[in-house]
Amino acid sequence: MNSASRERIIFCLFITASVIAGCSKSDFLGKKPDTRLVIPTTLDDLQALLDNQYVMQETPELGELSADNFYMTYSVWQGLVVKEQNAYLWSKDIYDGIGQVPDWDIPYQQVLYANIVLEGLSKITPDASNQTRWNTLKGTALFLRAYAFHNLSQVFAPVYNPATAATDMGIVLRTIPDVNAKSIRASVQATYDSILSDLRQAASLLPAAVPVNNLNRPSQPAALALLARVYLSMGAYDQAWSAANSCLGMYSFLMRFDSLPSGKSIPVVNANPETLYQSVMYRSSGVLVGALQAKVIIDSTLYASYQPGDLRRVIFYRTSSGLPYLKGSYNGSAYCFSGMATDEVYLIRAECAARAGNKDAALNDLNQLLKHRWDSMYVFNPVTAASAEDALDSVLVERRKELAFRGLRWSDLRRLNNEGAGDTIYHGLNGQAHRLSPNSLNYVLPIPPDVLDFNKPAMLNNPRVDPD
Amino acid sequence: MGSTKWLAFIVLIACLHGSISVYCQSSEPTVTLSEKNATLEKVLTAIRRQTGITFFGESSWAQVAHRVTISVKDVPYTEALSVCFKNQPLRYEMVDGAISIHVIRTKDYLLKGYVLNEKQEPVPGATVISRGRGKPSTAFTDELGGFSIFLSGQDTSIVIASISYEPKEIPYSGQTEIKVEVRAKVVELAEASVVGPAHTGYQDVPKERATGSYSQVPNAVIERRVSTSVMDRLDGVTSSLIFNKNVVPGTNQSTITIRGRSTILGNPDPLIVVDNFPYSGNINNINPEDIESVTVLKDAAAASIWGAFSGNGVIVMTTKKGKYNQRMKWNFTTSLTVGEKPNLYYQPILSSKDYIEVERFLYDSGFYNAKINDFRHPALSPVVEILLANNNVQYKLDSLAQIDTRRDLKKYFYQPSVSQLYDLNLSGGGKRDHYFVSAGYNKDVSNLVRNQFDRKTFNISNTWSIVPRKVELRTDASYVNSVTWNNNIGGINANYPYTTLKDANGMPLAIASDFRLPFVDTVGDKKLLDWHYRPLDELHNANDKTELKDLRLNASLRYNIWDGLSAAVFYQYEHGRSVENNFQSIKTYYTRNLLNSYAQPDGNGGYTWPVSPGDIRDKSINRFDANNLRLQLSFDHVFSPNHRLNALVGWELRDIEGRIDNTRTYGITPSTPDGVGVDYSMQYYLSYSGSVAKIPNQDLHYGTSDRFLSYYANAAYTFRQRYIVSASARRDESNLFGVNANQKGVPLWSTGVAWDISREGFYKMGWLPLLKLRATYGYNGNVDRSVSAYTTAQMSGFQNDYGQFYSSIVNPPNPSLTWEKIGMFNVGLDFASKNNRIEGSLEYFIKHGKDLIGQTAMDPTSGVTTFTGNAANMVVHGFDLALHTRNLTGKLKWVNDWLISYAKDRVTRYAVTQPSVTGFFHVNSLNPLVGYPLYSIYALKWRGLDPKSGDPLGDIGGKADTTYSAILNASVSSLIYKGPANPTFFGSWRNTFNWKQYELSFNIVFKMGYYFRRNSIQYYALYNGASKGSPDYDLRWQNPGDENFTNVPSRPAKANQNRDDFYDNSEVLIEKGGHVRLQDIRLSYDLPKRSYLRLPVQAIRFYFYANNIGILWRANHHNIDPDFINSLPNPRTMALGCRLEF
Repeated sequence: MNSASRERIIFCLFITASVIAGCSKSDFLGKKPDTRLVIPTTLDDLQALLDNQYVMQETPELGELSADNFYMTYSVWQGLVVKEQNAYLWSKDIYDGIGQVPDWDIPYQQVLYANIVLEGLSKITPDASNQTRWNTLKGTALFLRAYAFHNLSQVFAPVYNPATAATDMGIVLRTIPDVNAKSIRASVQATYDSILSDLRQAASLLPAAVPVNNLNRPSQPAALALLARVYLSMGAYDQAWSAANSCLGMYSFLMRFDSLPSGKSIPVVNANPETLYQSVMYRSSGVLVGALQAKVIIDSTLYASYQPGDLRRVIFYRTSSGLPYLKGSYNGSAYCFSGMATDEVYLIRAECAARAGNKDAALNDLNQLLKHRWDSMYVFNPVTAASAEDALDSVLVERRKELAFRGLRWSDLRRLNNEGAGDTIYHGLNGQAHRLSPNSLNYVLPIPPDVLDFNKPAMLNNPRVDPD
Repeated sequence: MGSTKWLAFIVLIACLHGSISVYCQSSEPTVTLSEKNATLEKVLTAIRRQTGITFFGESSWAQVAHRVTISVKDVPYTEALSVCFKNQPLRYEMVDGAISIHVIRTKDYLLKGYVLNEKQEPVPGATVISRGRGKPSTAFTDELGGFSIFLSGQDTSIVIASISYEPKEIPYSGQTEIKVEVRAKVVELAEASVVGPAHTGYQDVPKERATGSYSQVPNAVIERRVSTSVMDRLDGVTSSLIFNKNVVPGTNQSTITIRGRSTILGNPDPLIVVDNFPYSGNINNINPEDIESVTVLKDAAAASIWGAFSGNGVIVMTTKKGKYNQRMKWNFTTSLTVGEKPNLYYQPILSSKDYIEVERFLYDSGFYNAKINDFRHPALSPVVEILLANNNVQYKLDSLAQIDTRRDLKKYFYQPSVSQLYDLNLSGGGKRDHYFVSAGYNKDVSNLVRNQFDRKTFNISNTWSIVPRKVELRTDASYVNSVTWNNNIGGINANYPYTTLKDANGMPLAIASDFRLPFVDTVGDKKLLDWHYRPLDELHNANDKTELKDLRLNASLRYNIWDGLSAAVFYQYEHGRSVENNFQSIKTYYTRNLLNSYAQPDGNGGYTWPVSPGDIRDKSINRFDANNLRLQLSFDHVFSPNHRLNALVGWELRDIEGRIDNTRTYGITPSTPDGVGVDYSMQYYLSYSGSVAKIPNQDLHYGTSDRFLSYYANAAYTFRQRYIVSASARRDESNLFGVNANQKGVPLWSTGVAWDISREGFYKMGWLPLLKLRATYGYNGNVDRSVSAYTTAQMSGFQNDYGQFYSSIVNPPNPSLTWEKIGMFNVGLDFASKNNRIEGSLEYFIKHGKDLIGQTAMDPTSGVTTFTGNAANMVVHGFDLALHTRNLTGKLKWVNDWLISYAKDRVTRYAVTQPSVTGFFHVNSLNPLVGYPLYSIYALKWRGLDPKSGDPLGDIGGKADTTYSAILNASVSSLIYKGPANPTFFGSWRNTFNWKQYELSFNIVFKMGYYFRRNSIQYYALYNGASKGSPDYDLRWQNPGDENFTNVPSRPAKANQNRDDFYDNSEVLIEKGGHVRLQDIRLSYDLPKRSYLRLPVQAIRFYFYANNIGILWRANHHNIDPDFINSLPNPRTMALGCRLEF
């Protein structure tokens, strides 16, 4: 073979190499290493992130843990993680230096998902064919962000107080998906402004129908119900009434507890028809799990307050060795339901009506709800009231009874004490009584230590006091 | 084959055609010159200017050149050259567009020749050296045995020298071609692992010219052991390579480590190369009888050719091939291996008598009351049932105390293992081609009843010399089919030690596993499926079979462009497919239990079945297609006796496309052979366990894709045969990191030097004829498939409660993600005494793992708590000593092979520290601690037993304490580091004796410098039926004063998990791992040829081999084999075999 043909072959080999290496290199190396990996860019990809029920459904447990619906035995308490033990006793510091607190981390994970979706949506220009879907996704992401922020604010920020909200320390408001962004605590006012703005926008974007087969997805009624809950927690009763009223105008179904199989260990099914949006309290909680785990004993006053004929006593609770325990959840599982449902909206509308002096409207909503909770074997005597104030008292009592273990009691205690209710709550443990005075600084839980560590020294912790 | 590969192939063809036609139009450049009495240099410079042709050569040519007068116009440059060189004392050669100029010495002859052995087979790699009064010149034979050497008239002879052949001197008297036949050296037994060329998978580097570190397992050593798996044959005979025996799942540990650990979360496995390409299939597919030799590449220079895959070392397996001019040879090997039943009594457990005593104590304290009254009827052990029934208790318990479950287990679940091996191969070759064909069959009947492994392997390899000494084509095809039956899990689902498996009538007996037996006897009023668990029925109804197929096609075309310069294309396609079919019929407890659990009472005493009654089939299909393509130019040229350059440059593409499809089918019956669908989204209330659950969904479908583009170059320059400089560089690009990350890719490189001191003039030590010093430094890389530069969400493959597929954010985007880099320095000394009585090498190395994949904690407010990226560093250092001694060389030969290695790693950077000491005791998590080996044994301070209660005493703030929750939650500073969890100092001592036709060898292996945690009594687990207990129970503290001679805590009235955890992780249970083991013995006998003269057989060898013989010494005093802390030791096996050559 002569040198020319040799050169030819070498030349060819290298041309081939460079052709393959050059032209198709980005195609060749651009292939995903795993088909399950998605770089979220399409509406389908974004929907799949929002459909991650297991990330989206969890809400903090620290509030319910610190409230007064239950007590526990010393041996159960000993089995809890440090955070749960101390939150139950309203200790000054509850974490003992242990970070990775799900009550903080999970809502912020939801916020990251929402922000990734919002950023993804901003890069997609909707057309006539997908405008509705685009709107729904945007509404969903905004709803989820507002929900997460509101849940955080009920635990880690003080109750809304119009006089001081502008200077009270709220939560960190993350609105972009950049994981390296700085964490700065906004004011309580800014926190609520952000929540309300997200929710109002969400309500205008979300579909009107409640997706009864997919309650992990919010709807306009769900956004209105959340709006009513947020306004109520701020003490903005007129706005709360409007939101609740609009919500019930769209969806107002109530279950007849009489038709539920009260003998079953969990009589209420998942996605029951009162549900507007599903979520549960932290699923790995050492405390707030029902379904046959004898962890929490129901507060005796609360348990005694259910009258004969009130089916909530057997639907929500069971007894063992004479003590009342939590049965199961309002969503058919062992976890405590914390989502939005029509019963809560009825109670919000009733409370706001009573506060506005409209006794009849309040009683009307209240009795409408109670009628559905009553055993048909018993005569139902509608609640009556001499005045709007009386009606308000009745509504608050029923609110406690209906919405126990739904994560709302802590928020209610903060709000009502702020208005002067003066409720002191007690937890007994191993023969010792622990108490939490009304409006105590300990109504705001401390920021997790790892979060403070990462944001030293700019981020301040919530002031706490040694318990009484 | 992926579409990209077809495209690449078509492009290659197209290019060949296209460029040939373009190139043919060009013609030889012409020159115009007019010079008078000019220096040759000047004329050649003018030619270069006009043609672009360059000149090079020995620097002295310009001084001896005559002046030139030339006048030409538009003539081809070759014509001009012939004028210039006319009558010059010079000659010239064309070397690919360049002109090489040589000074013609008084007599300067080119001698070409071949070196063949007695069987007329070519001898590659032999050295050809001139002898005479002139300066010696050297050449080497190529793969076909050919060489060319320049000789001067003063040379009188040439000497052919080679490792495996006797040196031969041929007188030289001016001939131009020569054929030399050499005679094989008398076969040395068990050749030292330090000889032979390094097969890197890209090239063969002769030992004399290696700067890097590699060790070799020659064929004799591979054949020495009898095993089904090729990897087993490397255990205990390979320097610096250790098999990790106590691998804990979930801690990213590899079963094989070469020179210690240098990654944390990345791939921990060495790269396995078979012939030219990485092996993508299951290594157990390879038939060890097809392997000729194994080379382990250890340092940067040896391994860096594999770039990003080489960080954990490279194991290169070379398959057997035929040879040119070799008669057809048949080889037949067969062996039969029989193994004992494993020793079920090795793991100490609580005796039946003691177990019953504990249960009685618990029963009396009311411990079981909650279980007895539990509406879910959880299982109660036979003893508790007897106590509850309260009828003839003492008699019944006494008879139970006589029973040991292991007796029945050993009888019904275990059997002696039997492995059969058959292998037939034939090889041979003519002038123009050679071939190797083999077929192998292995049948391994496991020591677990109903478990078996069958493997069939086929191989065919051909080499054609298309144009002799110019173009060579090699093809290989191999096919493997194996079937594994996995029907026996080796135990039963209950921890109490006194159960029998058959009743008095020989019928399989039911035992309480999930539910109480009295409950199971009556539950469902015959409307549920039988809910009994009978271990023997389970064993016989199991039907789990995995079928595996692997096809590998390999072709390479090599073209010798010029002496020493060759181009080659390598291509390999591999397809693997494994199908596991786990058929759980309705007879199996798993299926009956699942169906019954989900059965929903219909209110009329009957049941509805969310999971339709029928068999359950789990099918897992795992397949892959791998394509590899490599283009390579190699250059190997001896410019003069003093200068030799060996270089290669290439480009490589790899694409492995994988696919996993797991499906479960419920409700298979004869009338519904395809099963009945179930509603996975529905939550069912399981009344018998009191929980709510969905029907388990085992479907999983996804594909994987690993793609790599690599560019590499490698060169070694040898000066005066004693100074060697080597360098290599490689760049890898992959789809794992995305294209952006690749653009910033880090090239990996290495350099090396070697100095053969013994070739220096001043070297006078005759007793040590070889002394060579070498050192290398460079970077290897490593891959972590679990991370990606993309912002990635991962589809879960499952539906949420509402029937929607959902995805999760895996890791936030990490565009700066890069390869793990392992910087490695190696220095080695090779030596050999006179007559090779002692030869060996000693090496020291240090490895720095940089940019290792690790985790960094993030502000959780960002939405992620940890971030996985290049955030960790490690360092490993150690040495390897390999020594081969010929102690006796007479009629009785005695050879020793010593392998001694040391390697110890240390984490030097890691961003996440566990909040408390417990993080370091979780067996299934990998929690590195800076300053210590990645796998370390840590312990808690022990302050004895409480003299009053026998409670174990821990330490809080320097004081004895029993607040176990506080001790376990203490900060990391209270940890005591005991030592590494893996051997740091290990090796083997192999003895081989040879007398007449007999050969006896045995191998002693040792492992030192590590620790392990001994199992002891765990009361909490024992009380709750989760543990079989420990005989340490008998040593427990019982009375005050016992604390003076025991460390076993007292039996608590109420078990406390934290108390057990503290004791378990305390210093007192830490043991030294060091031990010495007699691994195996082999005896072989070669039948003398005279006894079968009439048979058409060339050689007959019988051998006996015994493996796993026993421990000779161990540091611990508890009779624990540290290779088997939580499992049963490998039973002893004995093999008889026979090898025939026709």
